[in-house]
Amino acid sequence: MLSVPRGSETSGVFDEFFHDAETPRPVYERLAETLRAMAPGELAGGVRAINAALLRRGVTFTVYAEDAGTERIFPFDPIPRIFAAEEWEHIAAGVAQRVRALNTFLYDLYHQARILRENAALREAVFSSNLYVREMIGVRVPHNIYIHVSGIDLIRDENGTMLVLEDNVRTPSGISYVLENRDVLKRTFPRLFEGYPLRPVDDYPRRLLRTLRDSAPPTAGEPNIIVLTPGVYNSAYYEHAMLARQMGVPLAEGRDLIVVDNTVFLKTTRGLERVDVIYRRIDDDFLDPLYFRSDSVLGAVGLMNVYRSGNVTLANAIGTGVADDKALYRFVPDMIRFYLSEEPLLPNVETYDCTDERLRRHVIGRLAEMVVKRTDGSGGYGMLIGPASTAEERAEFARAIEAEPRSYIAQPVIQLSSHPTLAGEELVPRRIDLRPFVLYGKRIDVPPAALTRVALREGSLVVNSSQGGGSKDTWVLGG
Amino acid sequence: MLSRHAESFFWLARNVERAETVSRVLDVTYTRSMDRFQHDVWAHRAWRTALAIGTLNEPADVEPYDAETTFERCIFDVTNLSSITSTVAIARTNAINVRAELSTETWENVNELYLDVRAQRLDALTREGPARFLRRVRDRCQAIEGVTDATLLHVDGWNFLQLGRFAERAYLALRMLATLDSLDEPWPEWQALLEMASASMPFARASSHLPASREVIDFVLFDPTFPRSVGFCANEVDAALHRISETPQGRGYTNQAEKLAGRLCAEFNFADVTDVLAEGGHPFLQRVRGEVEALMAAIQAVYFPRIPVANAPLNPAGIVSA
Repeated sequence: MLSVPRGSETSGVFDEFFHDAETPRPVYERLAETLRAMAPGELAGGVRAINAALLRRGVTFTVYAEDAGTERIFPFDPIPRIFAAEEWEHIAAGVAQRVRALNTFLYDLYHQARILRENAALREAVFSSNLYVREMIGVRVPHNIYIHVSGIDLIRDENGTMLVLEDNVRTPSGISYVLENRDVLKRTFPRLFEGYPLRPVDDYPRRLLRTLRDSAPPTAGEPNIIVLTPGVYNSAYYEHAMLARQMGVPLAEGRDLIVVDNTVFLKTTRGLERVDVIYRRIDDDFLDPLYFRSDSVLGAVGLMNVYRSGNVTLANAIGTGVADDKALYRFVPDMIRFYLSEEPLLPNVETYDCTDERLRRHVIGRLAEMVVKRTDGSGGYGMLIGPASTAEERAEFARAIEAEPRSYIAQPVIQLSSHPTLAGEELVPRRIDLRPFVLYGKRIDVPPAALTRVALREGSLVVNSSQGGGSKDTWVLGG
Repeated sequence: MLSRHAESFFWLARNVERAETVSRVLDVTYTRSMDRFQHDVWAHRAWRTALAIGTLNEPADVEPYDAETTFERCIFDVTNLSSITSTVAIARTNAINVRAELSTETWENVNELYLDVRAQRLDALTREGPARFLRRVRDRCQAIEGVTDATLLHVDGWNFLQLGRFAERAYLALRMLATLDSLDEPWPEWQALLEMASASMPFARASSHLPASREVIDFVLFDPTFPRSVGFCANEVDAALHRISETPQGRGYTNQAEKLAGRLCAEFNFADVTDVLAEGGHPFLQRVRGEVEALMAAIQAVYFPRIPVANAPLNPAGIVSA
């Protein structure tokens, strides 16, 4: 018999699994029964088999800080995270609302810029952002869609409220883990699924393909679609290959592309083939050495001109990064009100703007209670978790913030909710977050395929794969 | 398909084929060394042959030709691009390049082969004997070939795999024959050659009497039903080229690769061992090997040329160290 521990005896952490000391929440009742009937060691044995299978399948990511090309598997935790249908509906509506507002913001920003005339602080944040792409001003993109694929990071605070922690509207990754996690969990622990009417995740590639087809230039006819990857050494190459394979489209690199007569072509064994839609997993900076970084060999020379003349769709559009610049994060609720005339369904985490003298003093005085992030950062690199930091690290961040206040934001530490997670042979509470993915073609689509990441170290609040995080299968129950 | 992907398919197949052959050659040499080599001079010669095939080089005469040296060079040495470690790593790099085009089954077999090879150590292998490991490599290479045939669409990618597989197989068979000092060797040498070429049983079935060396040569070079004879391979390469260009085989050519492949087929379809011996044996082998090399270069030039564009150059064969 396996015992399932309650999240935390200390108050201030929301327990996803248990309602109180004895009772699991309704969606977890069945799972709790199944787990209690399992022998200790059963889960651990299964997980060893899963990890071996993931290595064999090459489901790996690359850790940049280590030796070039170190391949690691993203640790998998077998205890699923479960959402009842109505809670998921709320989350899906919330992230869809957010992406609609951010997309409208990008259209506005690169055309009339109405919102900037009304909001001076936002104007300042946009014009000081190195993710704002002036070359996109006035450029028409098909159907005015900028954010075809996004991943919105959510956390649950101590009261059980879902908050938006970050918007990822450039090239978010993680969907391959969602698909793999479901597959390996089904094969290894079929018993856990008993009695749960789950919504499947494996149609994600079809939904993505539909989104990309819907986004083709109107002139394209039957569109030719490709996935554009930086190459085999990119940390998410496995995911790029998986999506290309499942959508049945070529996985190309920049060197496979050539621009002729303001059209993008693939170099194939039958000569040049026209490309209409590029699902690109390369940052803006590397797309075209003529416009952006001249030392980039990952993109294609002349791509930007083709794009500007409307002969190719890039998903996501160029210049979306400004919308997930962390200095703009605090304005997103305002954008929702401004563009949609709605109240945000999912609130923000309170955020301090370090360019404001008074707030900066406040932040620097309380670094031990703050999370500080670089505004242009992602992936958990270059952040300070106040309670886990040393005095030296805090001093270093204080200096950095003073030197470049625009480059940092600070947020109070939110105690992420906890969920039972396997450590060795026993279950222990560990902190988790959630990344639902949002697709936006002709219409907005939130597939029931979200990534739950888990901080595997006790007490840790950092769930990023690059920082020792793992992941869980995430179940959305049918209505 | 993308030229870069076609190139990766070609090199994937070539390296899997080479890994399979090298593992078989080492296995045959090793097992024969345990009972047959009564004199050092025989052992020396046998290991020299294995080394010549496993490095695609003429070994210098100063080297000591023994089991350990040969295993080191032919299994582990990453500076030897024909070692099992190198070929498997190159095959995997190319498989990763075409990961989106491969079936899951093919990819997992390639990846598992790589993980297995990477876990081997020379001292353990020498202590326990290499037979089981070499057998696994061979099995896995054949599994890659078989599962690919059974799961991949038989269109472009598969055609480029066929090109790589059969061109490499023809090339290696010619190299094997070239390791013989003369084409008039005593029987044990021929038996070793047949085993290395995976031809022992097929040959026994095809010739029921006690064979002479000229029959072995004839079989390995020309037999139209033996799937490892040079002639069979030449015809497969020619057929794959015409499938790629969607032109009928045997009625001329549309590019340099088809021209060379057609000529090679003609040579093998209308010659036999008498012609080989009339040309003096080894000179024939050398000439034909040159023609196979020219054919592979032509495939490269036609289908994955190094086009100088402003972008980065196309990748050369994805060669990496392990």
